[in-house]
Amino acid sequence: MDDNRQPVSRTLQGIGVSPGIAAARVLVMKRHAWRAGWRHLPDDHVEKEVERFLLAIRTAGAELAQLREKLAADLADALSIIDSHLLMLKDKMIIERTVAIIRRNSVNAEWALAQALSEIKERFEQIDDRYIRERYADIKHVADRVFGLLTGREHDGLGGDDLPVILVANDFSPEDALRMQAGNVLGFLTEKGGVTSHTAIVARSLNIPAVVGLEHATSILATGDLIILDGRTGQVTLHPEPSEIRRRQEGNRRNHAKADDLDRYIHLASETEDGYVVRLSANIEMRQELPAVLRYGSEGIGLFRSEFDYFQGQEPPSEEQLLATYRQLLETMAPHPVTVRTLDVGGDKFLHSFPGNGAWLDQERNPALGLRSIRFSLYERDLFRIQLRALLRASVYGRLRILLPLVSALNEVRQAKAVIAGVMEQLAEESTPFAANVEIGMMVEVPSAVVMADVFAREVDFFAIGTNDLIQYSLAIDRGNQYVAHLYEPFHPAVLRMIRQTVEAGHASNIPVSLCGEMAGDGLCAPVLMGLGLDELSMRPAVIPRIKRMLRHSRSNELRNLARQTLECEDSERVREFLAATLPHFYPKDFYQS
Amino acid sequence: MTTCASDLVVGNERGIHGRVATRLAEVASEFAVVLQIRRAEETVECSSILDVLSLALVQGSEISVQAVGEQAEAAMAAAAELITAQEDP
Repeated sequence: MDDNRQPVSRTLQGIGVSPGIAAARVLVMKRHAWRAGWRHLPDDHVEKEVERFLLAIRTAGAELAQLREKLAADLADALSIIDSHLLMLKDKMIIERTVAIIRRNSVNAEWALAQALSEIKERFEQIDDRYIRERYADIKHVADRVFGLLTGREHDGLGGDDLPVILVANDFSPEDALRMQAGNVLGFLTEKGGVTSHTAIVARSLNIPAVVGLEHATSILATGDLIILDGRTGQVTLHPEPSEIRRRQEGNRRNHAKADDLDRYIHLASETEDGYVVRLSANIEMRQELPAVLRYGSEGIGLFRSEFDYFQGQEPPSEEQLLATYRQLLETMAPHPVTVRTLDVGGDKFLHSFPGNGAWLDQERNPALGLRSIRFSLYERDLFRIQLRALLRASVYGRLRILLPLVSALNEVRQAKAVIAGVMEQLAEESTPFAANVEIGMMVEVPSAVVMADVFAREVDFFAIGTNDLIQYSLAIDRGNQYVAHLYEPFHPAVLRMIRQTVEAGHASNIPVSLCGEMAGDGLCAPVLMGLGLDELSMRPAVIPRIKRMLRHSRSNELRNLARQTLECEDSERVREFLAATLPHFYPKDFYQS
Repeated sequence: MTTCASDLVVGNERGIHGRVATRLAEVASEFAVVLQIRRAEETVECSSILDVLSLALVQGSEISVQAVGEQAEAAMAAAAELITAQEDP
């Protein structure tokens, strides 16, 4: 086509799940449906067909081996997935069976492979054990790779070329996600998925910008199209103006240079120039994120969201399953603390497990104010006890802190502590070991908890301020509602005063106060939070080095002055103006473009 | 040639899943032995990860394991460790 017009720039909206900006050409990975046409071969073509199949197997093996080479040695889980895929690729049920079918029926390799695979599928479908049965997905994945090579799929960018790309797909497999670690992937975009999808979690822990849930992305975009992807806002700009790209790419280079400098901070203590310590810990939701937690020098886990285990199957997880997760967290992080938040969801997620309770769930017209979090745990006590048993049994492997979410009244803390005491008694009777000194704390995320913080401080061992919910509840803003989302404002002086009040109440009773929420990892907020006296800030692992650098370039009296002056501002606009004018003097590397 | 055989009980909570089966195949190749698992009437070779998986050995399954080769004893010890351990390798 002879067409000199510049394609018109257009903007698409997805869900931003891993912040950062990437500008690059896209590589669209279409997962072909199995369309293995049957082709009869003349006799003298049969052996050639066998050769063609074996070549595809060797090539697939080489691709996997190459991917394995590029992976960091600390991603043990990932390496072992690839090892098992390599073995499946060489398995006689795939190779020998396919070759036999080609020879016996004089048919093309694609059809023979599809046959072999359906035989394997049949065998696996008879397996009762769900976990093993589901390994069929891996086999299918390996076969897909061979099938793609046989049918001459587009080269998928795995080979030697190192042109940076943004990957676009319906969804990603383990290898796809890991390949992003391998260097030339600047971002990714999927049609499926939400904020808590597996893909999103992997992207955040690898620190790669990602947008998910953009419908029809693989049809709208074609390999080679230039896009700018913003993993924070979820915005994707197709065919951006050249000036726009230059501006963004410039920003990208600076980010890379910054990252190199930040590596130096990973192993340094998290303290100010004058030795004032603020613990910097990680927020995570899967144990698979532990390598990232260690890589970025986190001193503990400030918030483990325990929900993931609950949404893996139809049934809630067993005590043993939960124990395996908690034990790994504690053993890996010891002697640093691991703070596990007990189940923080609404009952609607469990509808299938509690059929008799469907009635009350149907009535929930206001889920944010409904039966959720600690209220749900106290309502479904058996479920709560299973989680507590797993937690307490894990407590001997490290330093455990149990965190109760969404506490709004003293009675809830007392009831929860009574349930915990009951579980401890039961464990003691069974002679099951647990640590007697497990710390029990509460989330401060409901305004009533802030107002009554001095009273709560006498009941618990620590406070964790959850700013995401605290802001929503105190400003009456639903962040998911596009008409009011702009009113969601961390720098609202009311929010800052609530944080100060909670810290003061905690310290008056000699208990530590942490803050977990997006504010903790935000360069503009963090110095103010440090100055407000928080003992611990918990954030996404990847941002820890940057926040640590700010801390190490601070003096404690300066931080306190900064917090004091910030609290004198009468509205959020003044707060932002003040910080924008003040912070660059203290932290030139974070605010000036070098 | 040495032959080693032993009756074992699967210890892993999730049964002989992908990672365990992968390690068993590696043991067979590292020690250059023929490593077989028999459960009731069915016998499979550990070199085929898919065969091993399709036996669907859950925790508590009783199996017979046989290793044949120069290093059968060492291979058997490694295989037994993998099969009976409660932890993932």
